[in-house]
Amino acid sequence: MKKKKLTLTKKKIINGYMFILPWFVGFIIFYIRSIVLTAQFSLSELSVGAIGGYELKFVGLENFIYAFREHGTFKQVLTTSVGNIILDIPLIIFFSLFMSMLLNKEFKGRTVVRAIFFLPVILNSSAISGALELSQQMMAGGISAGSGQMIAEGSSTGVDVNYYINLFKDFAMPEAVLDYIVAAVGRINKIITASGVQIVIFIAALQSIPGSMYEVAKIEGATAYETFWRVTFPMVMPHIITNVVYTVIDNFAESEVVTLAYDMAFTSFDYGLSSVFSLVSTVIICLILVLICGFIQKRTFYYN
Amino acid sequence: MRRREIIDYSDRRWVPWWMRTKQKQLNRSKAGNGLLFLLMFVCGIFMALPLVMIINNTLKPLDELFQYPPKIFVKNPTLENFTDLFVLMNDTWVPFSRYIINTIIITVGGMVGHVIIASLASYPLAKHKFPGRNILFSMVVLSMMFTWQVTQIPQYLIISWLNINNTYLALILPSWAFGMGLYLMKQFMEQLPDSLMESAKIDGAGEFRVFWTIVMPNVKPAWLTLAIFQFQQMWGNTGGTFLRDEELKPLQYALQQIVQGGAARAGAGAAVTFIIAAVPITFFLICQSNIMETMTTSGMKE
Repeated sequence: MKKKKLTLTKKKIINGYMFILPWFVGFIIFYIRSIVLTAQFSLSELSVGAIGGYELKFVGLENFIYAFREHGTFKQVLTTSVGNIILDIPLIIFFSLFMSMLLNKEFKGRTVVRAIFFLPVILNSSAISGALELSQQMMAGGISAGSGQMIAEGSSTGVDVNYYINLFKDFAMPEAVLDYIVAAVGRINKIITASGVQIVIFIAALQSIPGSMYEVAKIEGATAYETFWRVTFPMVMPHIITNVVYTVIDNFAESEVVTLAYDMAFTSFDYGLSSVFSLVSTVIICLILVLICGFIQKRTFYYN
Repeated sequence: MRRREIIDYSDRRWVPWWMRTKQKQLNRSKAGNGLLFLLMFVCGIFMALPLVMIINNTLKPLDELFQYPPKIFVKNPTLENFTDLFVLMNDTWVPFSRYIINTIIITVGGMVGHVIIASLASYPLAKHKFPGRNILFSMVVLSMMFTWQVTQIPQYLIISWLNINNTYLALILPSWAFGMGLYLMKQFMEQLPDSLMESAKIDGAGEFRVFWTIVMPNVKPAWLTLAIFQFQQMWGNTGGTFLRDEELKPLQYALQQIVQGGAARAGAGAAVTFIIAAVPITFFLICQSNIMETMTTSGMKE
């Protein structure tokens, strides 16, 4: 009897692996292998062979030592881009959650409005942005430059930012908080354009909340505020982690440190150093991600 | 008999048409609603501006395209740019339809494969316990950190090692194994109540059947979102270093070529930009309007 049960669980396990297998094979081939290769490159000096192909010469930690001790900008770029990512996470998450709740309401033309908020993601593709830039050039700095620059140049709108900063300082607001808010306001444009996918993920999350829960809340006489904190928020909590992960990845892909690594590989042709840059920054980002996710995970409510 | 005096919430004559909702809203004033709408409107304008420009540019005749100071809106709309594009299409080395077919193969192949494979893999990760589950999952997150910019060289080596260089597969296969889809699907599947699957199993359904007929319809918002996401990724692909033959290059590449043609091809460039932007937007609209219907049709009552 016991033996039969064991085979059943074994069968189940094999069944589970069968589901994962097609993905896992590709994953190992394309991603694990490329991570291993990156690690390998970072420990060696790569030279391109004459016929094509490449040669690796093992140099130990030399590349790492060079990156940290001698390379001029690496450390600074690393800290600023990691700092920027940390700064952006809460802003993007709150903005996209807020927007998705607005867009989840029923009103005429809702799908179109949603599409508008997804536009930055679509227009972000290299070909389209190239075309937009061209037409911008043709119009000699025309309107397409507007959305970005108008916000960036806060002074041109006639609002004296410093006046407000001093005003809030007089209210004894902690300077760190104030700095964060000022930095956040300067980033509004970036945050709005960077939260397209997050909004869509949150909308899907809001749609998967069973309607019966809201019915119960309504019958029990919960206010909108209570409904949000007791029903909506716990139910979208797992997807906050999803979005944090996505935000970090998305921001990281466009951060300065990745650009530096890319330039190092394709303009300076120093693949070893480039691999070091990407490896170090990836490890740091992963650590941050683990910390944040651990923090949220503890507070996350899972339906089952 | 006295008529019941119940407030008729369905009577919302005083709410403007754009704010009319099917349910009575809880404790939110109309002014607050209006304010929120205003905020959304302002944000929306900033986002929609580039698209408005793209649409207007396609309709502008050449002299208006170069007008200074520039105008957003077109004065004498023409379809000249599209005819320009068609003329240009006939001159290209490879027939233009070839680019379109390439893009469709790459996009649809990458998207459908990714959605199916990622969903398949995330089902046991979310709903079954087996050894190595957590390690596997942390590896997925780790792999997402290695962006394509950084791993381009290893990626290229792997592609040539597999001997699929210069084929569609060079773009399609790596996208299938990307971690994002698995991550997203897993988070959504975890929220499904176990009882739903148990009842199906008691009724004699096998694992695959449970997956296909119970789990997938219930996470429809998730995989539609994933489809949008992946469609965008694949659609924006220019082929890069993996596709060398002109006959295999996607539409985005053709656009880049036209745009690089400079001022002489500005009209045709505007028309292609419009086409390239319009397709993902249409796809997004179709997917998003389908997301709405899931919860009403699924039986999540316990």
